Amino acid sequence: MSLLTEVRASLFEVIDPELGVNIMDLGLIYAIELDDNDNVKITMTLTTPGCPMHDSIANGVKYRVGQIEGVAEIDVNLVWEPAWSPDKMSDRAKEMLGFA
Amino acid sequence: MMPGTSMKSDTNIKLPLAFILYALIALVAAQIILFVNNDLLAAGNFRIPDIWMGAHFLLLGYAVMIAMGAMYQLVPVAFLTPIWNQTFGFIQFLVTAIGITVFALLLGLKPDQAIYGGIMAIIGIIMFVIQMAKTILRQQKRNSMTLFVLGAITCFFLTIVAGFLLAWNFAFGGVGNHNTILHTHIVLGVAGWFTLLIFGFSYKLVPMFSLSHGYSMKWAKTAFFTYIAGLLGLIGSFWTGSALLSGIGWILLLAGFSFFFFDIREILAKRIKKKLDRPFSFSLLAIHIGLGVHIIAVGLYLFQVSNQLIWSWLIFLYVMGWIIFSILGYLYKIVPFLWWTYKYSERIGKEKVPTLKDMVNEKVAVILLVLFIISVAGLMLSGLLQLSIFLLIFQALLALTSLLYTISIIRVLLV
Repeated sequence: MSLLTEVRASLFEVIDPELGVNIMDLGLIYAIELDDNDNVKITMTLTTPGCPMHDSIANGVKYRVGQIEGVAEIDVNLVWEPAWSPDKMSDRAKEMLGFA
Repeated sequence: MMPGTSMKSDTNIKLPLAFILYALIALVAAQIILFVNNDLLAAGNFRIPDIWMGAHFLLLGYAVMIAMGAMYQLVPVAFLTPIWNQTFGFIQFLVTAIGITVFALLLGLKPDQAIYGGIMAIIGIIMFVIQMAKTILRQQKRNSMTLFVLGAITCFFLTIVAGFLLAWNFAFGGVGNHNTILHTHIVLGVAGWFTLLIFGFSYKLVPMFSLSHGYSMKWAKTAFFTYIAGLLGLIGSFWTGSALLSGIGWILLLAGFSFFFFDIREILAKRIKKKLDRPFSFSLLAIHIGLGVHIIAVGLYLFQVSNQLIWSWLIFLYVMGWIIFSILGYLYKIVPFLWWTYKYSERIGKEKVPTLKDMVNEKVAVILLVLFIISVAGLMLSGLLQLSIFLLIFQALLALTSLLYTISIIRVLLV
């Protein structure tokens, strides 16, 4: 499994504690970049600006990715543009929230 | 992509928790005091020292302290600005908690000396107003919520000024228009401070807890200014004795509340989370009760009902059904969040951590919230019909439910 795939898979284990759904299925991860030195840059958002879980979720991403062997530095870049919208969710997330 | 704004919400959890724990104790104390004095309630005697003591433990000790604790937690995350001075916050907690306790006790035991506790409570409240003003005014991008919260804080400040004049009169006399000041104090405190604050935070919390998107909040400013105009009209009627102004005031308050209601309805219609958490639904029920109280008040005005008993119980419903119910519901969201942040935020991603919902026993919460509805409805009916024995039973139920509710919130801290 490539490092990038491993990072992507690990983020399915980071759960939004308010919604009980992982951040990948919620569509909060916009981009995962890996450079030649195995530094990871994750661009992500939250469902709403001013979300009280801001620090916790961003740190959770750092901790989880940090556990993967071979990953060097981790940079979590939290952005508000483009804003998150429900169509970014996977069908599974929609189903879990009763939206499907 | 636009880089994320820094909005670290590093409020020391002990600060909001101190307020919330004090408040829960005050809630139980208030209900026990009101239970012991249920005979006065049955007779419709609300303006008696013992009832003042219970009412101030409920409104100052419980509702105000919860509001303060919640603001210490929510303002930094909602306004994207850190608390101005947290050490000042802890001192403010001590001063306010001691002040409110002494003030409420003296109101019941030695009303002529209540001024001394009152002064300390006022100092604490002014410290809070300074803290929040300093914090909110640093916000870079103002929004409708800023308007509501600043409006609420202004009303709060005016409430305590009016309250101070009342306490001064008990101690030394000399201030005229005692009843007019009392009515102004009640309207500014209950309708101004609490309602504007709940409006403001609901605009943030309702979309957040229902995961709503694409809503407009188009009525927010209209709701704010109409409600403020209603408050001014109603208070103006106390000072001028104008029945017309009173009617205009009530109608504007209803209009303001309705505009807020329209926005909330739209937010909920556009929600993604279809199955809402039960305690949050309870806070939404409180909005309906609040709207209902405003409709009834306009109805009473139009039909020229001036029966003091009916108006007193309507104010009771406003306080319990709208303000207290809102807080009871939101607390099941706020306390787990606080505790989760404290205990699990460093563990997310490292190990399996509970969700916020796992921290609350929702079945127990639903039972308790239903008991609150039954006891408040029962109290209202037995109060209006002056059925002493039922009043005693429902006040006992309310006191017991408050105690069990407090235990259920404290249990969250044991997860």
